[in-house]
Amino acid sequence: MTPEAARLPLTVIGGYLGAGKTTLLNRLLANPDGQRIAVLVNDFGEIDIDGRLLDSATDNVLRLANGCICCSVADNFAETLETVRGFADRIDRVVVEVSGVGQPHKVAQWGHSPGFSPDGIVVLVDPLSILSRATDPYIGDTVIGQVARADLVVISRTDVADVDELEAAEAWLDDVTDATVLQAPLPTAVLLGPVSRPLGVDYCPPGEEPAPGSGTAEPQHADHVTLSRRLDGPIGRPSIETWTRARPSGVVRAKGLVRVDDRPNDRTVLQICGSSTMVSVDGPWDDGEDAVVAIALPGTPRAALVKWLNLLG
Amino acid sequence: MSTPPAGDQPSPIAVFPARVIHTLDPAVPSGSAIAVRNGRFLAVGEVDELVDVYGGTVDYALADKVLLPGFVEAHSHKDTGGIWQFTYVGFEARRGPNGRLWRGCTTFDAVVDRLREADRLLDNPDEPLLAWGLDPIFWPGERFDRRQLDAVSTTRRIFVAHSNMHLATVNSALMEQEGIGPDTVAEGVPKDDSGLPTGELQEFPAMALAGQTFRSFFGRTQSDESVLMFGRAARNVGVTTVADLGTSNLLDEAVVRQWIGLADETFPMRTAMFHGALISAPDGDEACAAAMVDLRRRSTDRVRFGNVKLLMDGSIQGGTARLRWPGYLHGGPNGIWLIAPEQVAERIGPYHRAGLLVHTHANGDQAVDALLDAFDQVQTANPLPDHRHTIQHCQMTTPGQYRRMKALGMCANVFSNHTWFWGDQHRTITVGPDRAARMNAARTALDIGVPLSMHSDSPVTPLGPLHVAWAAVNRQTPKGEIMGEHERITVAEAMHAVTMGAAWQLRMDDAIGSITPQKFADCTVLEADPFEVDPAELRDIPVWGTMSGGVLHEGSPQTDA
Repeated sequence: MTPEAARLPLTVIGGYLGAGKTTLLNRLLANPDGQRIAVLVNDFGEIDIDGRLLDSATDNVLRLANGCICCSVADNFAETLETVRGFADRIDRVVVEVSGVGQPHKVAQWGHSPGFSPDGIVVLVDPLSILSRATDPYIGDTVIGQVARADLVVISRTDVADVDELEAAEAWLDDVTDATVLQAPLPTAVLLGPVSRPLGVDYCPPGEEPAPGSGTAEPQHADHVTLSRRLDGPIGRPSIETWTRARPSGVVRAKGLVRVDDRPNDRTVLQICGSSTMVSVDGPWDDGEDAVVAIALPGTPRAALVKWLNLLG
Repeated sequence: MSTPPAGDQPSPIAVFPARVIHTLDPAVPSGSAIAVRNGRFLAVGEVDELVDVYGGTVDYALADKVLLPGFVEAHSHKDTGGIWQFTYVGFEARRGPNGRLWRGCTTFDAVVDRLREADRLLDNPDEPLLAWGLDPIFWPGERFDRRQLDAVSTTRRIFVAHSNMHLATVNSALMEQEGIGPDTVAEGVPKDDSGLPTGELQEFPAMALAGQTFRSFFGRTQSDESVLMFGRAARNVGVTTVADLGTSNLLDEAVVRQWIGLADETFPMRTAMFHGALISAPDGDEACAAAMVDLRRRSTDRVRFGNVKLLMDGSIQGGTARLRWPGYLHGGPNGIWLIAPEQVAERIGPYHRAGLLVHTHANGDQAVDALLDAFDQVQTANPLPDHRHTIQHCQMTTPGQYRRMKALGMCANVFSNHTWFWGDQHRTITVGPDRAARMNAARTALDIGVPLSMHSDSPVTPLGPLHVAWAAVNRQTPKGEIMGEHERITVAEAMHAVTMGAAWQLRMDDAIGSITPQKFADCTVLEADPFEVDPAELRDIPVWGTMSGGVLHEGSPQTDA
């Protein structure tokens, strides 16, 4: 059996009307931070792409010069995923927009489709309207359901909300969800996850503290801390458990493609998105490098991250 | 005599005597013969009188039959016919479009036997075995899973869709070929104690893991043969006009051509096509409305365009309908919105302003609240005197809501079959006996003056207006309970609802719905008189077939397999 290509990570982005999904998707398409993203939207009408960026357009697919594509989810989601799978060798990841009344955790189930792997449930929240919406008799339970099962909640419109409004929104979120709550704007790698085997990143050798400026940290975003580690062959199963429990509080995203000693011929995927950690097997090992990459909030001590990544072994 | 509307040359006149004819037209409520020319009713009256006045040939084919205006099913779906390409394994007996009676599979063994028989009939070992109608709700405490299906075949892929079409059960051979195994961690893929998937695939993301087999199941019902089977299914139960409610993407030219091409004068059915605008308006509602206005001009005598369908919520038995307080009896969460309540007016507006007909699915009473709020806004901003916008299902609509509907000029198409198919579940599981007795309030709608029709939502329940009428007249559940005696309607009201009532809601009442001169010569041909039989036996009246545009279409010979 020939090794399968790595599956395409699929991140869903939800949130009620006015939460900023469209703004975010347009921003991702215009400035994807070096990732080639396939964005799946319900309605092309909301997409605002600079004509100079547009490479080609068909009924259901817009191709952009920066490597991103945008697909409209026609009436058949399974078919749309088939279309996206046809682009698998040209894109890094998939982002699915969930309708304003949709439940993102349900749409996220499509991430288990052949050729894809689920990579997080991200829900946007408008701090100016969330409290009144949460008590609305029609849609209160819908907006609570959206954030309750999110992995990562992103508070949008931070440029117009004042401190009191942001704090009130955060206090409410703290009551209704276990998700990690962050404020916009955020780099692509935090929102959607890092590229699993980033090119041009030096890895931190096991057991060693990286020297400042040695290039072991990936300067993907000025404020967030990104660190990668190459592993020497299969790791022990118990170390995954230890690693999961010992996660430093600032870590918001991680992705690893590794071998585990009890399944040395399979590709095990380690994944962190906000509050969730997922360990899965997505196919036979593909002769790549065993590696893990993590992203932490600004100010997270690098030493703590190194120590943590070194727990895998 | 002036030229008839349906042709350049007047065709010969045919006079059909019948045992009795109920016209549903108060001018001439009954008669013993109809005269037909150019596919339209020329006159109704007594045989001698018609022959004296019009001449023509007397055709005695229907001499011992009972004629009513052709039944109109105002809420059904295209896969009503196509679903019968697959093996039926449901609990209740059903008859397929070719006349075959499929006995109910009331035990696991019966399901397995039925599938073994189907397996034997497939030559190609690579062809998957596709089946539908499984309903584990009838076997509480037992688990139907891959083990039963593996007893049918360990090599052929087997995919059995459940009756609600939101779940499927598959066998081990299929799971192996599609890579569904212990490592599959999807939420809709439950595992048994051994860590293996049980074979049940819950909801579409999980069902789609069945790959090509899933696509075959949900794609094959789009074929030409599927449309033709729909026509046969309608003819067999006396239906001459259906509404295809949002099953077809009418922005797809191929679909439009398929229907216009197949629905020629030999096709026994007229269809009001409703575009599913909820999921297929890729360039926005204004553009979609403009496309529907253009498409409306391509309507034929047999296929009508210019209608759209939207959806507010899910189903009551599925726990996905939006309910007012006190919500579901079982205490589960309230259902889902398919359109944000604050966006409903915005979405309906473009279609309303374009003069298109909007039918909107709303099962729960809270969904109806939000929908009425929206229609209030839309009608206030752009009053359209004769819009005929209709609420589909309307299962929990309250008297207060019906009064608002009346004030807004809206119609109700009520899901009366529910009292039979899920009545006991509504009494004991979903909403309890009190609210169940108020469901599908056809009597209330009529008393308040809301134009009424009733439907089957086929293939959700079997196509058949006599059964729907029986349910609305009797309101009896399978366990023998009467679900709200006060909401019963009379046979005459029920017959009106499934003919003129439905025709009105489809804006076709000037062309169909009664046996009236000038209208299309569409009749339901019955072996007994609905106005004479015991109302409790309404659903048992044998249907001979139909007349569509003056052409006789005898139903499929009934066989008992």
